[in-house]
Amino acid sequence: MSVPHSLRCLLRPSATTSIPQRIAPITAFTAPFSSSSILAKNPTPPSSKAKVPLGSRAKVLPGGHIRAGKKMQLGKFKKNRQIDKSRPPAPGERKAYRKRVTLSNNNALPVEGLEEMNAQTMVDPAKVGRMLALPNELVDQLRAVEAFKSTQTWNMFRQPSMLQRKEARELAEKMQTAAGKGDTLKLVISGDRLVGKSMLLLQAISYAYLNNWIVLHIPEGQEMTNGSTEYAPIPNTQPAQYSQQAYALRMLQSLRKANQKLLLDLKTVFPHPDLVQHFPVGTSLLQVANAAKEPDTTWPIFNAILQELTAEGAGRPPILFSLDGLSFIMKMSEYRSPAFEVIHAHDLAIVRRFVDYLSGKTKLPNGGAVIAATSRGNSPRNPSMELMIAKQEANQGLIDQPPAKEPYNRKYDDRVEAALSNMEVLKLQSVSRSEARSLMEYWAASGLLRTAVDEQAVSDKWILGGNGNVGEMERATLLTMRY
Amino acid sequence: MASLQSGSSALRGCCQVTQTLKRLHRLRAARITVPVGTARHMTSLSDQDPATDGMGIHARAVPVSPSYFSRQPRFNDSYLLLAQLAERYRKLPLIPKDQVQPVAWKNLENFRQAVGEHVKATEFVKCMELVKVLNQIHPSLRPKEVDDALLVFKKAVQPYSNIEKTIPIDKFGRALGTGRRKQSVARAWVVEGTGEMLVNGKTLADAFGRVHDRESATWALRATSRTDKYNVWALVEGGGTTGQAEALTLAIGKALMAHEPALKPALRRAGCVTRDPRKVERKKPGHVKARKMPAWVKR
Repeated sequence: MSVPHSLRCLLRPSATTSIPQRIAPITAFTAPFSSSSILAKNPTPPSSKAKVPLGSRAKVLPGGHIRAGKKMQLGKFKKNRQIDKSRPPAPGERKAYRKRVTLSNNNALPVEGLEEMNAQTMVDPAKVGRMLALPNELVDQLRAVEAFKSTQTWNMFRQPSMLQRKEARELAEKMQTAAGKGDTLKLVISGDRLVGKSMLLLQAISYAYLNNWIVLHIPEGQEMTNGSTEYAPIPNTQPAQYSQQAYALRMLQSLRKANQKLLLDLKTVFPHPDLVQHFPVGTSLLQVANAAKEPDTTWPIFNAILQELTAEGAGRPPILFSLDGLSFIMKMSEYRSPAFEVIHAHDLAIVRRFVDYLSGKTKLPNGGAVIAATSRGNSPRNPSMELMIAKQEANQGLIDQPPAKEPYNRKYDDRVEAALSNMEVLKLQSVSRSEARSLMEYWAASGLLRTAVDEQAVSDKWILGGNGNVGEMERATLLTMRY
Repeated sequence: MASLQSGSSALRGCCQVTQTLKRLHRLRAARITVPVGTARHMTSLSDQDPATDGMGIHARAVPVSPSYFSRQPRFNDSYLLLAQLAERYRKLPLIPKDQVQPVAWKNLENFRQAVGEHVKATEFVKCMELVKVLNQIHPSLRPKEVDDALLVFKKAVQPYSNIEKTIPIDKFGRALGTGRRKQSVARAWVVEGTGEMLVNGKTLADAFGRVHDRESATWALRATSRTDKYNVWALVEGGGTTGQAEALTLAIGKALMAHEPALKPALRRAGCVTRDPRKVERKKPGHVKARKMPAWVKR
């Protein structure tokens, strides 16, 4: 409201501004122009006084509309283009089409004799290198937290099934021991492009659901920080933190959809006086979660739910807090503070919570895991994150020597280094030949691979896929029109 | 001794040349003399016949070659020489055809081009019969003049005498093959193993983004079903991705042949032996590119 007045002080005094401003009524600021006639500040009154320059062929129609006369048209504009008169897609429709996840294909052959994934098979050493089908209930849960990605090739097969890799079993075992001891597993999944990092994360989430854990999953790190959700400063925080209520609502919705049974059994142990609705102690968490209907009222409920889930000594299940696309939350976000300064991603409250768990600053009192997967496809370069991961890999003996910190690089970030100083790295490697073989046998059984799966064929695809990179094998075998 | 048969029966064909000989005798009878050094192919009679020295200079020159006035003097000369040699050495032992070391002979086209005469096909065929018979003379007994006479009919480049360089396998069991395509040069060290491959220290997927290029690079191994038998460590430089991938095909193919020479025909059929000679055609003056001409402009 004050903007037009303050800008006026920059004007030179002239005859037009000589009228004292205080006399003129100060109205609410409206845009001087709007495409809708009702909102427009000065809707042009229909008048027949519209003038037409002399000698032109233009006509003035009764409504005051001026119809232009004949105009010269250049040759290249004359072609009558085919104008598509069908309805354009509604907002968001194109994106929804692009991002849709198809988990089944009726044209693919059903694979007989596939074992179903359950809590035992995930930690069973005998099941390493076998294909495991995801049970329907689990599929619904995974879908609710958006753990499936549209880039993965679920749409080629009859039923979603996964290769139980060596690393998946190791990860499941780590989660098992962490939950058993009441510890928090702090883990970052790194690895080459298309090597299956998101799939491993999916397996970790599956393990959590199959063992009745609470899962909080952030499917895309970039959605938190790229300025696409609404945000607001949280009062009484120093330095200021920012809430993302719409995103929190989304997380709550997926939580109550995926963990419905569990939430129904869990009862509140704290009174929550700051909530609008009154929930006496002993109310089920599902009821509290259900209270979140609109983004505006979500934030206190989101906090209350997290407070309840991490209540100590109340028989809470372990929690898996996971995120895909780590490098997006390890940088400055696209959001601005009221002073128009760029907000660090760690100042966003949800991200802050995740980072605190990952760094071990706060602990999950009932045990659980905090797992982040890096992504290589479309992620920003993040020198600090890469450095810390390499350091940790060197500590674990996965590589010989970590790269030294570049002395003149200003892009290192201390907060990121602090956040990643206390985690474990799972460096995902390519699959072994026996794993590749069972995967290819599954492809063949689904009718997607028309060659006999023998040692030779496996070896061919294993090499073509860059020494067993699963995504590249898939690309070379299933996604090229060859067979 | 059955293999060493008498040359007389094989030389029966040479009686056909007697007609030509007779014609040449007639030519010799009509001697003429010209002043010394008038023509390169002519010579005065005095050079040839010292008996006429005192008689002064003859008016007409005598050609050096008796077949000078025939239509194909060079061909006829060599033909006659061959006939004479065949006649002279008819008693030398011949070896069977299948034991003769193969020689790449000029064909009619090549020969015509070499001597610059329009040699008749039928005569050339007959001549070549003589050539082959003479070539059948046992190499240890074959006189040098026969070898010299046959030289005209041999191709300049003798692929059969080419000695192949064999690629050694070093003490670590590696064979180093090199391959080229366009501007790319590839070196591949192939060693018996389990089927792993690194190109410039990267996996195949990292080195080549295109699946087609990866398939080209591994083609030598896949075409011979050897993907799980050898490990490859390769260095490629120069050119683009396609060139690098196809240079690798050749490099791996050659190194593979060092391990298993019997694979050569299979590799040749797969196209992993011959270097593709095509490369960018040079730009020419007056052209916009190699072939493209500037657009026609009126004035």
